[in-house]
Amino acid sequence: MNAQQPVRIVMIEDDEGHARLIEKNIRRAGISNQLVHFLDGTTGLDYLFNNPEGPGKNGPALVLLDLNLPDMSGTDILAKIKGDEKLHRVPVVVLTTTDDKVEIQRCYDLGCNVYITKPVNYESFADAIRQLGLFLSVIQVPDADA
Amino acid sequence: MFSQNEQQFNRWMLVGLISGFILLIAGFALVAAGLRNSNESARLVRHTFEVKDAIGDLTVALERSEAARRGYLIEPDPYRRQVYEEWAPQIVPSLNRLEELVSDSPAQSESVRRLRPIVVKELAEIERSMDLATSGDFATARAEFSGSPGLSTLQLIRDRARRINAVEEGLLRERQDAARNQQNFVQLLLLLTGTLLAGVAAFTFWLVRKFTRELLDSQKRLHRLNTDLEGAVKERTADLQRANDEIQRFAYIVSHDLRSPLVNVMGFTSEMERADKIVADFVTVVEDKQPELVSDEVRFAAREDLPEAIGFIRSSTRKMDRLINAILDLSRQGRRVLTPEMLPMDRLIGDIAANLEVLAAERDARFIIEEPMPSLRHDRLAVEQIFSNLMENATKYLQSGRQGVIMVRGRREGSRAIFEVEDNGRGIAPEDHERIFELFRRSGQQDQQGEGIGLANVRALAYRLGGTITVRSVLSEGSTFVVDLPVEFSEEGKDQ
Repeated sequence: MNAQQPVRIVMIEDDEGHARLIEKNIRRAGISNQLVHFLDGTTGLDYLFNNPEGPGKNGPALVLLDLNLPDMSGTDILAKIKGDEKLHRVPVVVLTTTDDKVEIQRCYDLGCNVYITKPVNYESFADAIRQLGLFLSVIQVPDADA
Repeated sequence: MFSQNEQQFNRWMLVGLISGFILLIAGFALVAAGLRNSNESARLVRHTFEVKDAIGDLTVALERSEAARRGYLIEPDPYRRQVYEEWAPQIVPSLNRLEELVSDSPAQSESVRRLRPIVVKELAEIERSMDLATSGDFATARAEFSGSPGLSTLQLIRDRARRINAVEEGLLRERQDAARNQQNFVQLLLLLTGTLLAGVAAFTFWLVRKFTRELLDSQKRLHRLNTDLEGAVKERTADLQRANDEIQRFAYIVSHDLRSPLVNVMGFTSEMERADKIVADFVTVVEDKQPELVSDEVRFAAREDLPEAIGFIRSSTRKMDRLINAILDLSRQGRRVLTPEMLPMDRLIGDIAANLEVLAAERDARFIIEEPMPSLRHDRLAVEQIFSNLMENATKYLQSGRQGVIMVRGRREGSRAIFEVEDNGRGIAPEDHERIFELFRRSGQQDQQGEGIGLANVRALAYRLGGTITVRSVLSEGSTFVVDLPVEFSEEGKDQ
C-alpha cells in the first residue's frame, strides 16, 4: 500500500497569476505537498491519465480545477475524471470565477467534490485558499489504485 | 389602386342598374302596347262580325218580310201575316244599327247611306202590298206586286249588302294587317329590349363576378399577408430574442473574463502591500541601527510612494470590480425567470419606506405614501427593486437647505397602473432626462456614492415587466419619476 505516499496537488488553471496566488496562499496555510500546475486542459488531462507520476498510474492526488480554460471546458475535464474507472475517486475542487447557479449544479451533478467561487476581493480570496489549504491538510484522499 | 377599382365598379354597376331599369320600363310599355294592339285587333274582328251580323239581320229581315208578302199575296194565311209583322219592324233598326256600325269607315257609310233609300222604298212597297192585302184589295196588291221591280230591288239590296260585307272584310284584312304590322314592330322592339336587358344583366353579372373574384383574391392575399406577417413577427421576435440572449451572454462572459485579471491585479497588489510592509519595517530597523544607510529616497519609497501607489491601484480596482459586478448583476437579472404574484402595492411600498426610514432620517428626508394604490400581478423582486431604487435615489439627491419630502402615489388607468415617485430634491437638468437611465451615467454634482447603475437597472426591469419609466423634473425644484406598468404581467411575445 502507498499509505505513506504524499498527496500530490494537480492544479489546472490557465491564469498564471491566479495559479501563483493560489499556490502562495496554500503554502501560507502550511501545506507543503507537491503541486503541479498546468495551463490548459489537454496537458492537464494527459498528466492525470498518462504520466507515470500522475494519479492515473501512481499515487494519490487532488485536483484543483478552473472551469474557464482556453482549450476545453473545465466541466469536460471533470466529466472525464469522474467517468474514469481509476480516477473517479480523486477529489476535485472546482475553483473558478463562475458563480452561475446552473454551472455549479452541473459540476456537482458530474461529481465535483467542492465548488469554490474565487472571490474578487483579495482578502477573501486569500482567506478562502488558506481555508482550502487547511481543509486539504485534514481530508483523507483515497488511493487511486484502490 | 383598390379603391379606384371599387369606384370604377360602383360607377359601372350604377350604369348597369339604371339601364336595366330603363329597359325594363320600356319592356313593360311595349308589352302594354302589344296588349292594347291585340285588344284593338280583337275589337276590329268583333266589329267586322257585328257589321256582318247587322247586314245579315237586315237582309234576313228583308227576305223574310218579302217572302211573307209574296206568300200572303198568294194565300192570305194569318201565319204569313204574323211572319211579316215579326220581321218588317226589324228592318229599319237593323239598317240604323248598320249605319251606326260602319260610321268608322267613310266609304262604308256612303254605301249604307245609298242603300237606305232602296231599303226604305222596298219596305214601303212591302208595307203597301200588305196593307192592300189586309184591307182585302188583293187584286191591286197583286197587280202592283207583279208590276213592281221588287225582285230586282231585292237583288240590288242583296248585291249591295254583299258588297258592303266584302268591303268590310277587306277593311278587316287591311286593319288586321296594320295591327299585325304594329304588333310585329312592338314584338321586334320587345325582342330588342329583351336582348339589351339580357346584355345588361350579363354585363352586371360579369361585373359582379369580376369584382367578387377580385375581392376574394385580395382577401386571399390579405390572409396570406396576415399569416406571413405573423410568421415574420415570430421570426423577428426569435431573432431579437437570439440577439438579446447573445448580448446577455456576452455581458456575462465579458464580466467574467474581466474578473480574472482583476483578481490578479488585486491579489498582487496585496502581495505588494505585504512586501512593502516588510520593506518598510526593514527600513525602520536599519534606520534605528545604521541611519546613514537610509536615504530620504528610500524612506519615501517605502513609506509614501509605494503605499500611495498601492492605494490608488486598490481604489481603482475596487471601482472596476463594482462596475463589473453591476454588469454581471444586470445580465443576471435579464436572465432571471420572473414569477408573477399578487402584490398589494400599499404594503410593498410601505415596507420599502420602512426599510429606508433610518437612512432617510439620516439624510433629512421623509416619505409620504398616498394610499390606496392599485395592486399588481408581477414579479415581486423586480417591482421591489424598481421602487426601492427610485425611493432611495429620492432620499439621496436632496436640495441642500430643504427637508426632503418624497411622495409616492399610484393610480390605475385601464389595464395600466401608473406610479409616481415625486421628490423636492435638486432636480435633473433637462438635457440629462434621458441620460440618467443609461448605464454608468450620472447627472448633476457628483457628490454622492454610486456607479450610475440604479436607474439603468430600473429601466431594464420596467421594460422587462412590459412597462416604461420616465422622468419629469425641474432643476433645483424636484423630480417625479413615473413608472407605467401593466396591471398584470404577461410573458413576452404573448400579449405585448
